[in-house]
Amino acid sequence: MHKRQQGMEFEEEEEELVESKPKYSEIEKYRIFDKEFMPHVDSMYNFAFRLTNDEDDANDLMQDTFMKAFRFINSFQEGTNSKAWLFRILKNSFINDYRKKSKEPSKVDYQEVETVYNSTEDAEYESTTDLRIEAVQDMIGDEVAMALNGLPVDFRTVIILCDIEGFTYEEMAKILDIPIGTVRSRLHRARNLLKEKLRSYAKSMGYKELR
Amino acid sequence: MAQCSGNDLTKEECENQEKCMKMIQAVLDGSATPEEIEHFKNNIEVCKPCVDGYELEKSIKESLKTKLNKVCCPQKTIEQLKVKIGIGLILIMGLVIKIKVIQELFV
Repeated sequence: MHKRQQGMEFEEEEEELVESKPKYSEIEKYRIFDKEFMPHVDSMYNFAFRLTNDEDDANDLMQDTFMKAFRFINSFQEGTNSKAWLFRILKNSFINDYRKKSKEPSKVDYQEVETVYNSTEDAEYESTTDLRIEAVQDMIGDEVAMALNGLPVDFRTVIILCDIEGFTYEEMAKILDIPIGTVRSRLHRARNLLKEKLRSYAKSMGYKELR
Repeated sequence: MAQCSGNDLTKEECENQEKCMKMIQAVLDGSATPEEIEHFKNNIEVCKPCVDGYELEKSIKESLKTKLNKVCCPQKTIEQLKVKIGIGLILIMGLVIKIKVIQELFV
């Protein structure tokens, strides 16, 4: 989906949220906030930090998200998946607000995203199998983190949601507002790109390629 | 794996690697359909590229889960957030008190 179009949909979504009729009393709002939202504070901060790669920006993004969640709390159905609901708001805030005022907008390499999105299926797989399991197992956290941080943000996002936060494809589809088929494809492409990054590190570590 | 007949014990090449890898990833992610799980169980052991792919994907997934430091939210940020939300509560309480005072004065 085109970025502009995607952004417009998120803005429309927020307008819909504003129009929701009040269904919780003030006391209920605070109770729901404390019981349903606050337990996810660490996961939310972790997601914000992995998206922004900056502690201050992660703080701002997380606080903005929680403030927005409180403001739109009438749109939340108590007892449903609050973590997915919050992650969706955070992701939308990141796209609508953070990206516009990002300190380092050049980190998002849209050309790379475009190239990978447009590449043919066969071409995608070709260069990604020459990575040894032992090399991956020997890598330290910093190397894995650098490989992940080196991915364009759309691909980084699906890997964080799936592999770090453990969301199902169905939940990811709701968070990202894309069909499940697209989740699968994007995840597959993201992993191929991650393997490329890991392969580069493995090579620098002296591991010989598989082929 | 997608087109494996089940008779080959060691397939050195996979005609459907792309499709197979998507399926393997879905299985590892716990998001595969029952049909995909069944197909995976019946075919994974006969196709070498798929077995290798499965092991590599599993290893990367585990590395992401275990080697990346989980960054916890600073206590200061949590406190700031509570203050921000708390301010809303104070304002509402103030408004309620104000309305009650006005009601008592004029009713």
